[in-house]
This record gives sequence, C-alpha cells and structure tokens, in this order.
Amino acid sequence: MKAILFLLILFPLAGAAFNGVLGRRLPRRAVEVIACVALLCSLCMAVAAFLASGGNTHNVALFKWFAAGDLLVTFDVHYDALAAIMSLMVTFVGSIIHLYSVSFMREDKDYVRFFCYMNLFLFSMLVITLADTLIFVYLGWEGVGFCSYALIGFWYGDEVKATAGRKAFVMTRVGDIAFGVALAFLFAHFGTFSITEINPQAASLSSGTATFLTLLLLWAALGKSAQLPLTTWLPDAMAGPTPVSALIHAATMVTAGVYLLMRLFPVVQQSPAGMIIIAGVGAITAFYSSLSALAQRDIKRVLAYSTISQVGYMILAVGAGDIVGGMFHLLSHAFFKSLLFLSAGCVIQALAEEHDIFRMGNLRRHLPGVFWLMLTGALCLSAFPTLGGYFSKDRILLSTFIHPGGLYKFFWALGMSAAFLTSLYTFRMLFIAFLERPEGRKASEVHPIPKFMKVILIPLAVLALCDGLLNLPFGLGKRWLGRFLSSVPGAMVDLNASFSLFLGMAILSASLSLSGIALAYFFYRRPKEAGEGGWNDLLFSAFYLDEVYRRLLVRPYRRAAALLWQRVDEKVLDRTLESFAPTFETSSTALRLWTTGKVSTYLKAFLLGLVGLLCLFVGWVTLW
Amino acid sequence: MNQFPLLSAIVFLPLLGGLLVLAWPRRPSLCRAFSLAVTLADLALVLLLFIPGLRRSGGPWFRVEDYAWIPSVGIRYTLAADGLSLMLLLLTTFLGVLCVLVSWKDIEEKVSSYHFFLLSTLTGILGVFVATDLFLFYLFWEVQIIPMFFLVGIWGHEQRTRTAMKFILFTMAGSLFMLIAMIGLYVVHGRQTGIYTFDLSSLIGTSLTGSVQGWLYAAFMLSFCIKIPVVPVHTWLPDTHTQAPTAGSVILAGLLLKAGAYAVFRFALPLFPTAFRASVPLLIVLGLIGLFYASWIALSQVDVKRLVAYSSIAHMGLVVLGLAVLNSVTLSGSLLQMINHGVSTSALFILVGMLGERIHSRQFKDFGGLWRKMPVFSAFFLFFSMAALGLPGLNNFIGEILILIGTYKVNPIAAAFGFAGLLFGVIYVLRMVQDALFGEIKGEEAVLRDIDSREVVILAALALAVLFLGLWPGPVLGLFEEPVNGLIRLMMPAGVS
Repeated sequence: MKAILFLLILFPLAGAAFNGVLGRRLPRRAVEVIACVALLCSLCMAVAAFLASGGNTHNVALFKWFAAGDLLVTFDVHYDALAAIMSLMVTFVGSIIHLYSVSFMREDKDYVRFFCYMNLFLFSMLVITLADTLIFVYLGWEGVGFCSYALIGFWYGDEVKATAGRKAFVMTRVGDIAFGVALAFLFAHFGTFSITEINPQAASLSSGTATFLTLLLLWAALGKSAQLPLTTWLPDAMAGPTPVSALIHAATMVTAGVYLLMRLFPVVQQSPAGMIIIAGVGAITAFYSSLSALAQRDIKRVLAYSTISQVGYMILAVGAGDIVGGMFHLLSHAFFKSLLFLSAGCVIQALAEEHDIFRMGNLRRHLPGVFWLMLTGALCLSAFPTLGGYFSKDRILLSTFIHPGGLYKFFWALGMSAAFLTSLYTFRMLFIAFLERPEGRKASEVHPIPKFMKVILIPLAVLALCDGLLNLPFGLGKRWLGRFLSSVPGAMVDLNASFSLFLGMAILSASLSLSGIALAYFFYRRPKEAGEGGWNDLLFSAFYLDEVYRRLLVRPYRRAAALLWQRVDEKVLDRTLESFAPTFETSSTALRLWTTGKVSTYLKAFLLGLVGLLCLFVGWVTLW
Repeated sequence: MNQFPLLSAIVFLPLLGGLLVLAWPRRPSLCRAFSLAVTLADLALVLLLFIPGLRRSGGPWFRVEDYAWIPSVGIRYTLAADGLSLMLLLLTTFLGVLCVLVSWKDIEEKVSSYHFFLLSTLTGILGVFVATDLFLFYLFWEVQIIPMFFLVGIWGHEQRTRTAMKFILFTMAGSLFMLIAMIGLYVVHGRQTGIYTFDLSSLIGTSLTGSVQGWLYAAFMLSFCIKIPVVPVHTWLPDTHTQAPTAGSVILAGLLLKAGAYAVFRFALPLFPTAFRASVPLLIVLGLIGLFYASWIALSQVDVKRLVAYSSIAHMGLVVLGLAVLNSVTLSGSLLQMINHGVSTSALFILVGMLGERIHSRQFKDFGGLWRKMPVFSAFFLFFSMAALGLPGLNNFIGEILILIGTYKVNPIAAAFGFAGLLFGVIYVLRMVQDALFGEIKGEEAVLRDIDSREVVILAALALAVLFLGLWPGPVLGLFEEPVNGLIRLMMPAGVS
C-alpha cells in the first residue's frame, strides 16, 4: 500500500521534473508521451490503491520533512474513502485532459512548459487529496496555486492574461492567510498537524474556538474555491488555455476548498454557527453567480460563473452537514463541467479563438459531434431528471431543507432559485451558440479540428450521464457512494427524510430544471441581440464586485506604496538619518578626489587604515 | 589545543589569497582563476568541519582555537564554531565561490585589486562568524566593512561614491556605539570580578544593574539593527544595493545582513537577557513594521535592484520577529531563514546582474517579455521568485512557517499579522516577475541572449541549495538545535522560555 500511494503521488512529479530538465532536448512526441504516461501510471496506481485498500482507511508515513523544538512535520498520507474517490477522479479527469491537450496544444511551441506545469499541478492536487499532515496539504495547496498562476498566464505575451494569472494568485493567497493562521492555531491547540490526530480530538473544542477555527478554514476555502467575496479571480482565469480551465478551474483545484472542509469535517461539525455561515456563503454564492452567468457573452465566462455557482452548492452541502452529497456533486460536477469546457475548447478552436456566443450560431449544423457532447454536459449541469447532476443536486437541496433552523429554509430557497437559473443560463448559452442564426457562421468559417479531441471526450460524457448510478436513492447498488463514504467521520448515508418529502423535492427540482430549459428555448430559440442597459450591465459585471475591489483596494494600495516610498522613506526617514552626518558632503568630495588615484593608493590606505584602527584600539584599551 | 588551526585557516585563507592576487595586476584571467581556486579551497576546508572525526566531542562547540593575544588587557584570540557558525561559514564560502564566478565577465577593470577586496571581505565575514572574543569580533566586524566600501565605491554604478560614503557612515556610526558599549561592559565586568577580559563566555555572567544593562544593550542593538537592517535605520541598504556591483550585492544581502542577525543571537541576547526581555514588544513591532513597510514600498520601485533590496528588509523583519519571540521553534526558524534568505536573495541579485550585463539597465521599463528570448534564464528567475515569496517545497517557506507558528503560541496577534504580511510579499514578487518576464519585449532583441554554461552552473548550484533547504532542511535544523537550546537555557533562569 505504501509503495502504491507513494508512486501515485510521485509519477506526475517525476514527469514534471523530467520534462522540466530535459524536455527542451527531446522531440515533441517524447515530451507528450512522458507527460501522459506519467498521468496514466498515476491513474493505474489510484485504481490499484482503491482495490488494495479494501475500503479501509490507511495511514502511511512516507518521510520526515522538518522538525524544530516540539514541532515535527512529516510527509504522511491519509488514504480514506474520501481520498480514494477524489484521487480516482483527479487522475482520471487529469489523464483525459492530458490526452486532449496533446491535440489542443498541437500548434503551440511552448508545449514543454505546458506539460511540465500540468504534471506539476496534478502532483500538487494529489498531495492535497492524500496528505495527512496539514503542512503537507499546504504544500499541495500552494503548489496548485502556483500552477494555476503559471497556466492562466501561459500566453504571457499578452499582459491581460499575465495579469489574470497574477490576480488569481494574489486572491487565493488572501485565503491562505487564514490557512496559515489555522495551521498555527491547530498546532498551538493540538500540538500536531495530522488530520487523523486532530479529527478524533475535535470534540474537545469549545464551541467558540471551533467557530473561530471553522471560520478560518472557510476563509481558506473561499479563496481556492472562488466563493464570495473572493470570486472575481475565476472568471478572469479563463484567460488560460481551455484544458487548463477544464482541469484546474472546473474539475479539481476549485473544489480543493470544499475538500479541505470535508477532510476536517469533525472540526467544522463542532460549530453550528460556523456551519450556518458556511451554508450561507454557499447558497448566496450559488445564487449570485448563476445570476451573473445569465448575462455573459464569453462562452468560457458563462462556464466559469457556473463553476462558482456549482461549487457554491458543494459548500452549501458541507454547511448542511451532508458531506456525502457534497462529494457526490463534486464528482458529477467534475465530469460534466470538464466535458463542457473541453467541448467549448473544440468550438473555440474551430472558430479560430472566438469566445463570444453571439458571434457563433449554426454550430449544430457545422459541429454536430461537439453539439451532442455539449448537450450532454448542458443537460447534466441543468440537472435534467435521471442524469448525473440531478441526483447530486437534489440530494444537497433535500439535506438543506431538512436541516433544522429557519435560515436553512432560506438557503434552500436560494439553492432552488439557483437551480432554475442554472438550466436557464446553460441552455441560453447552448441555444445561442448552436441553433440556426441567419447571421451565424458559414461552413467555410469553421476550421476542422482533430477528431481525437472529440473522441477522447466520450468517456467523460458517458460518466457524466451515468454517475448518478453511484448513489441512486433506490434500486440496485442503492446509495453505493454513501455506504462507501460511511467510514468518513461525519458522513450520513441516508438523509432520513420521509418518502413524501423526498418525492416532493425530486419532483420540484425536476420541474424547475425543465422549466428553465423551456424558458431558455422560448427566449433564445430565435436570433437575439445581446442585451444592454442597466440590469444587463449589472449582471454582466457580476454586480460590479471587481470594480469595487479595484477602486477600494487595488488602487489605494498602489498609491500608498508610492507615497510611502517617496514621502516617508526618502523624504522623512532618509533625510533625518542623513542629517546626522553633516560632514557628508565634504567627506564625499574628499572621497571623489581619492578614487581618481591609483589602485596602489587605495591599498596602502586600506592597509594603513587597518593598522591604524588596530593601534588606536589597542592603545586606547591599554591606556584605560 | 595541539591540533591544526582549521578555523584560522578558513578565516585567513581568502585574505592570503587576496594578497597574492595583488601580485598580478596585469593578468586578469589569472586573478580570476586563482581567486576561484582560493574560494573553492576555502569551501573544501569548511566541508572538512562536517566530518565528525574532526569535531571536538561534547559541548556545543565543534572546534575552538584559543591563544593569548594581548595579555596585558585580557584580549585573546579565540575562534570557536558551533552548528550555527558552521552553517554560516558554509554559506559564506559557498557564496564566495559564486561571487568570483559572477564577477568573471562583469568586472573588466582593476581586476586584481577587485579580487583582493572581495577576498578580504570574506575574511572579515568569516571571522565575524567564529570570533568569540568581543574585541576580535569587533575587529572582524570592521574589517568586513572596509573592503565593501571600496567594492561599492570603485566598481559600483553611477552614484557609487556618494553611496559608498553613506554605507560606511551608517555602519561605522553603528559600530562605534558597539565599541563604546563593549568597553563599558569590559570595565564593569573587570571591576566586579577583578578579571579584565573580552571573552564572551566569561562576560555572559556579568550582573548588570537595570539602567547600565539597558544602555549597553541599546548600543549593541543599534549597531546590529543598522546592519540587519531594521526599519527605520534601513535607508542605507536600498542605495548601497542599487549601486553595488553584483558580487557586492550578493555579499551584502547574503552575508553582511546575516552578520547583524547573527550578532544579535550570539552577543546581544546572552549578554543582556533582562534588557532584551524589556525590548521584546518593541522588537516584535519593529519586525512586523519592517515586513509590511518594506513589502509595501517594494511594490512601487522602478529599479529592480531596489525592489530586491526592499524585499531583503522585509525578510529580515521576519527574522527579527523570530529572534524576539525567542522559543525553540522561532529561533530555529530565524536562523534557518538567515541561510534561506542568503541563498534566494543572492540568486535574485545575480539574476538581476545578468540582466544588467545584457541590457545595461536596472529599470523595469527596459525589461519585459524576456521569457521569449531567454527561457532558461526566465525559468530560473521564476523559480527564485517563487522561493522568495515562500512557496512550500522551496527554502523560505520552512523558515517563515517555523517563525510564524512558533510566534502564534506566544503572541497570536503578531503571528496573524505576520501571515498577512506574507501576502504583501506575494504582491511585489508577482509584479516583479510580470514586469520582467511577461508582456512585450521593450528594448533591443539582439542583446537578449540566453544564459551561458557558466551562468547555468551558478544558478543551478543555488537552485539545488534552495531545493535542499526546502525539502530536507532536517540536517541544517539539526545543526541549530544545540545553539538554540543553549541560548534558551541561558535565558531560562530569568523565566523566559
């Protein structure tokens, strides 16, 4: 088991290191093969670990990292049911996206850098998934942050893209302040960084400290998972190549925050107040962001807002105490959202880097294969009854509804509205881009794309359609995922809702999803101009949140920096200090004369000075 | 004591080499090669100290050399190395080799005297890290400054004379206070015990009344704080860095600043425990101010070397915080951070120097888009920048996390501010990376040739050090254990832990 888990983490790192050092000397194909094989090997190891674990939890100590005083940090792995599911998903989606990228990046000259970062990203993501020591988790946490930064700004020649990467890094680091403080707090309180040691002791936390800790963890999660108020980096992150958006900004990294809360759920559970806040953030973000998605024109930004909103559901699930539902949705979201992004990547390449859905149209005719893939993803995202996303979203809404507390009913209502909006914006995007438009694309304007890019998406589409089977509320293999995750502390296999409530919720959310699609068809079936004016601008700019940050934080920070430097540092401090040396000017003139002399003069002076100093001090001390 | 004086050999080999180099004023390449050989030999001598058989067993000191020097006034020639000294010697000789390599093409004029000054600075620094007789320490403390003055004043950039003068005035002024305090301590101790000595271990026990201790401590600390430098007495540093030649900046950031923090650890704390305790809140505040203030200012710099200089001040602020909190975790963190900062900041200065050799500018407005023409250089630049902003797995992270986690136990508020301060660091580092590497190429493309094999060797050596310190700092932290515990034991009787 130890070897399997070690190799599971190591393969992508080895791939990144090998390509990073030698990649420039190798032929292109070799680099691609190494990167993909590294991932596929890792996937094999994930499967092997899943089979070998027998559903049990394994704690494996790999190496010691560092120690000082009473502090000891190790590279330990905590392989439980949660980590098993997550590592399978990460390596599977990662492998598909790597293979897709070989085609997608076929004309890019910087493929070595690309695959190097991608492999490094998956290494870091697997560290988050598996690590037991929280400082080790933090290594992965910052590692994915760095790779995200580097890949968003991958096409660095464009300042806008480079800036988007920088913004993502800084904003997620805002969250990491809290992660750091949480680490320090946990160590001060428990004397350990190990998840396996902290969780059993969580019950000893008083509710005040538990709330404090939960809020720190939530804050950390907000940055990585792009939840309110730290959402604004994710739409900009779409500047990166599309496979990057699919992998990092949809399937894996943005769910890391949710995953962290699930890993430390026993701590979160100690604080009812903290859980209300978590649920609130999730529900409000889900609603806010699905509203914003309604007015986007860029196909990737629609998907980005949709990701924020779907991750909001997962956060809501944690707040409602249902980590099985959260994990279930995380899983189905990973499949359908990466499918949607990768299909969007096909569209974008076929239309020569066109992102604006209002400049697409007629694509069902020109790109039928992509249309079907995209439709599959869209149906899952809209939680079309019986498809993957339906069961997971329904479960979260149900668990929110039955959670005691009046506020949870409000969160449930927000979640319900967001579910309706989700199918509305999803099909708005699909209809505008793919249905017949008189001014839409002509066949001659559509470039051929490699067939492989579509074929490789089929496994994803199948999984997206069928992953509801993992946790069916009835029938064969009933609640398999729930039972599998039951060993995770705090997991509920069954929600204990009455059958009528369960059925009512299922029917309600199914009808919301269908009415959203119907409304979208009603509005966007015919050609339509992009909206303009107050409401549209408000939604398009996501309620001007980015602008507010720019005006209130970014600009004042920059101005203050210049002010501190020129006014305080140079004018006040430096001048004051220099005024202590009134002989400054005279001596510097003397020095100027001196430096024009020959080298030997300096040396003599130097040696003379040394001897002089020595004599002076010895003399002084002797005479004392 | 009938053993080979290894420490003296390590300390004085560079000076000897430097004097020999002076003999070939007309043969620059010979000077370079010979200096390289000398620094490599010195590095090898330091590595000898890692062989357990060559260490003295028992006690914190691996090796001691002790001779009477000026018996009439109790001045002895005492060199002693413990784990901390050993790491700093290693850092000094390692950076010494790199300094010679960095100057290979950078310095074209007066090559032989340049190398003389370079090597004699190394002697001064090496001496500072092993001298345990206060007078001897003071001597080395001054010796390291004077050649540095010439390095900046002669081989520096456009404003070198003024800057060199500023540098020497600041540091000399500081050390003057230290000299006075040192003699004061010597006299007080002598009057109390009848034994007049500058020996550190004898002086440590001196009982001092409150105000005397306060004044002496303040004088020592002023001198060390200027050197570290602590805000608000830092203003000499950005100027000096900007004007110094690359090797000068490496020595300054990598080694001279460490001498300040080292001296606080070795002398100021054990000599004046009571006064130190009184000053803890002040030092914590100054450390944090340094972190925030310098990181903030760094963002608005237009000169990349000044930016890195301010980043040095910010990093050293964190080191001061760790020293002030004084528990085994923060102290280990601070000591490790001294080494870390020495490696990664030197690397950044070297990178900036390489750019300077090509573009003949240090201004951001002349950079941009370098990745396209200089991918290997840029990859290194990104790597060391990430090390500077504390990416886990690279060196600075370990030091930062040790300092802050250790601080949290004692002072949660200060630790929370410290974590927030790291964000300020991210902001200016990312700005530096973007303005240098990304975007469009601004100047002439022809001058942007990627780094050659000599430069790759320099950077790869530093990169390996960064990775080693980041992934396996255990051996280094192990070396610090004894000095740290020793200091804590020393401070304990008065009730500090």
